[in-house]
Amino acid sequence: MNLRIAGMGWVTPLGRDIDPVWDRLIRGEEATAQPISDPIANKTYCAFRIATEALKDLPPHPRLRRASAISRFAAAAGLDALAEARSTIGGIDVERMALVFAVSNGGVVYTKRFYHSVVESGAQSASPLLFPETVFNAPASHLAAILGIAGASYTLVGDGAVGALAIKMASDLLDNEAFDFCLVVGAEEADWLLCDAYHRWRLLKKEPPIEPFHEPPRGMILSEGAGAVLLAREGTVQIDAIDAGGNFSERRKANEIVRRILHGLADEGACIIASANGTFVDLAERAAIEKELPKAIVYGPKPALGESVGASAVWQIIVAAEALRTKRLPQMLRSGGQVGLSFLAVDGGSWSKAIVLSCGLNQQVAGLRLSI
Amino acid sequence: MIFNELSGKTPASRVAVVAAGVISPLGFGLNETLTSLRGSKDCISPVARFDVEKCRCKTAGQISDERLLGQPRNGRKNERLHRATRMMIAVFEEAFGQDPGFTPQLTVVGTTSGGMSFGEDYYRALHRHRGLRHSPGWIANYPPQKPVIHAQHAFGISAPCQVIANACASGTNAIGHAFECVRSGKYQQVLTGGYDALSELVFVGFDSLQAATPEKCRPFDRDRSGMVLGEGAAVLALENLESARARRAHVLAEIIGYGISTDNHHLTQPDPSGSGPRRAMEQALQSANRSAEEVDYINAHGTATTFNDAAEGKAIAELFGKVPVSSTKSMIGHSLGAAGAIEAVICLAALKAQFLPPNINFRNPDPDLDLNIVANTARDAQIDIVLSNSFGFGGTNASILIQKVAA
Repeated sequence: MNLRIAGMGWVTPLGRDIDPVWDRLIRGEEATAQPISDPIANKTYCAFRIATEALKDLPPHPRLRRASAISRFAAAAGLDALAEARSTIGGIDVERMALVFAVSNGGVVYTKRFYHSVVESGAQSASPLLFPETVFNAPASHLAAILGIAGASYTLVGDGAVGALAIKMASDLLDNEAFDFCLVVGAEEADWLLCDAYHRWRLLKKEPPIEPFHEPPRGMILSEGAGAVLLAREGTVQIDAIDAGGNFSERRKANEIVRRILHGLADEGACIIASANGTFVDLAERAAIEKELPKAIVYGPKPALGESVGASAVWQIIVAAEALRTKRLPQMLRSGGQVGLSFLAVDGGSWSKAIVLSCGLNQQVAGLRLSI
Repeated sequence: MIFNELSGKTPASRVAVVAAGVISPLGFGLNETLTSLRGSKDCISPVARFDVEKCRCKTAGQISDERLLGQPRNGRKNERLHRATRMMIAVFEEAFGQDPGFTPQLTVVGTTSGGMSFGEDYYRALHRHRGLRHSPGWIANYPPQKPVIHAQHAFGISAPCQVIANACASGTNAIGHAFECVRSGKYQQVLTGGYDALSELVFVGFDSLQAATPEKCRPFDRDRSGMVLGEGAAVLALENLESARARRAHVLAEIIGYGISTDNHHLTQPDPSGSGPRRAMEQALQSANRSAEEVDYINAHGTATTFNDAAEGKAIAELFGKVPVSSTKSMIGHSLGAAGAIEAVICLAALKAQFLPPNINFRNPDPDLDLNIVANTARDAQIDIVLSNSFGFGGTNASILIQKVAA
């Protein structure tokens, strides 16, 4: 498998552009949660949001005029990844590029608004302008139109592991000689409805911080944004193994799959970028790491960036690539130090590989290994 | 979509369909489907699942809940599962009943709306401030991967699943991607298909666009006035042909080509030139290394909307001339993410029984479309290669070519 990262872009609650956000993570900063109000039940939750100025230089495009936030986040991240790739490996032939878009909740803001009018006032008040934006592949369609992709475009739906599954799909697509590039984008937008749903599902905390690997788990905080990686046959960071994993039937069985994946990807010289988010996922990852790679340095970006579900695995991959490129890793925030994993901040790390574990909240697990 | 075989590098694998399962308004399973197709059955009925009084369209192709309930599998009570999950379990049961030895390494399934009605139940309960006791179950089982994962667990399958949501092209995209995975030699067995259950949000959405008709669904007719929605599920078990033959699996047909294109003209309307569908169909032919003259039947996307049928019809006429065409959506409605998978199974039935499925409710040819429509009744015909089209919102176009296996 010759699968390399040629360009990356992200829009996160800590800002946009790879280097500034990475520097903030290294400095141990975490995003500031903002209140998000539920007007129906009059409740308030917290979420890590994207600052308006992060998208201020997004080029105008007719497709973005009415598009939802998720489409704007994706466009910004995708354009940044392409720009970086063009500066490092030169020209990108868009005709030979596929798009794989990973999403979990999708355009929830417009979907809620559309259905709310149906519930409130009846079918006759449903908006024909909103409905097309509720479709899962609307953000991918906008991005394809902006980038001029006229060939393969796939929207993959899943839980927090969907970004890793999208990388696997991109790898399969790049086996086809019709493609030289595949842009993988993961994106999500936050809304009070999601906060309410994850709260009722007993996975959400009302306020930060996210405390990874805490036992018992205390819950997560949702976030929003997008991550994009342009995969090609050239680039400094290589994806040298992908395990598309499987599906656990009950939460307590997530351990088995995470452990099997880590066993297959294990490398003594690797650091681990975990998906720990303050839920049962942490326990599954901790058990697997303690068993398979107990000495590995572990970092998880979710305490700093929040749980962005569809975007989260792509953010983890970008963190892994930065860890390989810079030989630095941030300190794992809010871990409390009471567990037996290695969370030290590292400067001048000796690793040449990084393992990304991606355990979703709704039964899907996948992982991959990067090297430099 | 030029494959390895054409570039002279690694020979591409041939891809067999070794089992299939289907549930649609035409019936449960391949036999009922075949009988209904032969009988040109109109399966559209008034919608009873939710209030459609204020909608322009009041009908859909629907599946009876009574038949869906069936026996619980793997200790799960069917009543607590989403209708889409029950559909998926039913089609898994049929496919694995045909080939119990099939053990997929990957599952690729298309859908547009997952367990949408659970999301609607949750939002309505939230809105009226009561009845939220079941909300954790609705929330956990609303996402699109859940019906697939539930069905996999019911049959002891642990393969990773990729759920493609490319709007109405999802099912054909799923089959096409699964085909490429097996063809590349990377996978030996991949389970693929699509599903969608009727939901209020989607029904009202198409109604708000005035894409749904209050009349009969008349694809390619001069007086067509829009689509009727449907629901259902179908799966196809794809396997490397050599491996299938080595284990003496029954081969239903071969998938031989796949094309995908993205039409950036508009989020919901195709480029009137038909260039998007045309590129998908051309790529499918190119990937199969076949010419348009070798295609014997086209199962069209044919939604009966003004814009789709005009663009698709133009592309078909330009590329294929007088090849027989029908849209089986005239009988069962448009089942969105399931449509491509159900229509692929309809193509398998047509290849097996050597007939052309009908395009019912057809009265007057559209003078702008020079097509050979299989009007109103099924026709016996010798067919070897068929093309199935699916196009969707977002400009996604997908076409697959299926070939009869020589006796």
